[in-house]
Amino acid sequence: MVKVLVTDDAAFMRMQLKDNLTKLGLEVVGEAVDGADAIEKCKELRPDLITMDITMPEMNGVDAVKEIKKLDGNVKMIMCSAMGQQNMVLEAIQAGAQDFIVKPFTFERIKEAVEKVF
Amino acid sequence: MSLTVKERNRYITEILNGTYSSLKAVVPINYELSKPKLVEQSIHIQFGVLIGITGDIKGKLVLDGQTSIFGSVGETMFGMPLEGEMLTSFSGELGNMIAGGLSTNVAESGINIDITSPTIVQGNTKLSGYKKALHVSVNLENVGEMGICLLLD
Repeated sequence: MVKVLVTDDAAFMRMQLKDNLTKLGLEVVGEAVDGADAIEKCKELRPDLITMDITMPEMNGVDAVKEIKKLDGNVKMIMCSAMGQQNMVLEAIQAGAQDFIVKPFTFERIKEAVEKVF
Repeated sequence: MSLTVKERNRYITEILNGTYSSLKAVVPINYELSKPKLVEQSIHIQFGVLIGITGDIKGKLVLDGQTSIFGSVGETMFGMPLEGEMLTSFSGELGNMIAGGLSTNVAESGINIDITSPTIVQGNTKLSGYKKALHVSVNLENVGEMGICLLLD
């Protein structure tokens, strides 16, 4: 089963993603509240996929993608952005993220992004 | 560089229109808007979300309403009742999504703004210290009323 780490500073968004990813048959093995937390949990949990919010305290999602790619070149990452963050999404894709989804998420769009990544 | 009155008025119009469009894109509920009212005194709110605006024009966008209204919007969008921490978290994200759409919408009119992370405001709170403020009531069908305040520095 694909192991997923969900990263977002908003508890509501983590809950939404966890529900949808679980419905898709993925195993959510952990939740991180910012980029620095995602790096630590990535080392600890070794997920196959990380969903990554962009604007977060401590370390934003783009910087976290860059650091995580140094740790594990194989881990897949899907950025979770609000509208108006196109430049940061592009930077994250260039740094190694595979796809992005725009808030508010739909189940279909999450499914499409996961299928694209795997 | 300071804005001329004409430029400032155009920016205000574009920001309000951009907010309405973003609200429509994010929240799947029909709504009616009141005419914008100039706020002469300080603003009192019980619950809301505040987003800072920087760039070509500086100020704050505030969405305010009863927690039950935010809860109903969340339930309509995500199909589950929200309360406590999840309601607060959702409200911040709602502000974030609407402000994100706003920045994209106004960029199409040549106005560049950045938005800050949302701040939740709760408990009898007075907002003051702005140069000019506009308030619009949004009547969400079968849900109730939410306010949009544009505070300009």
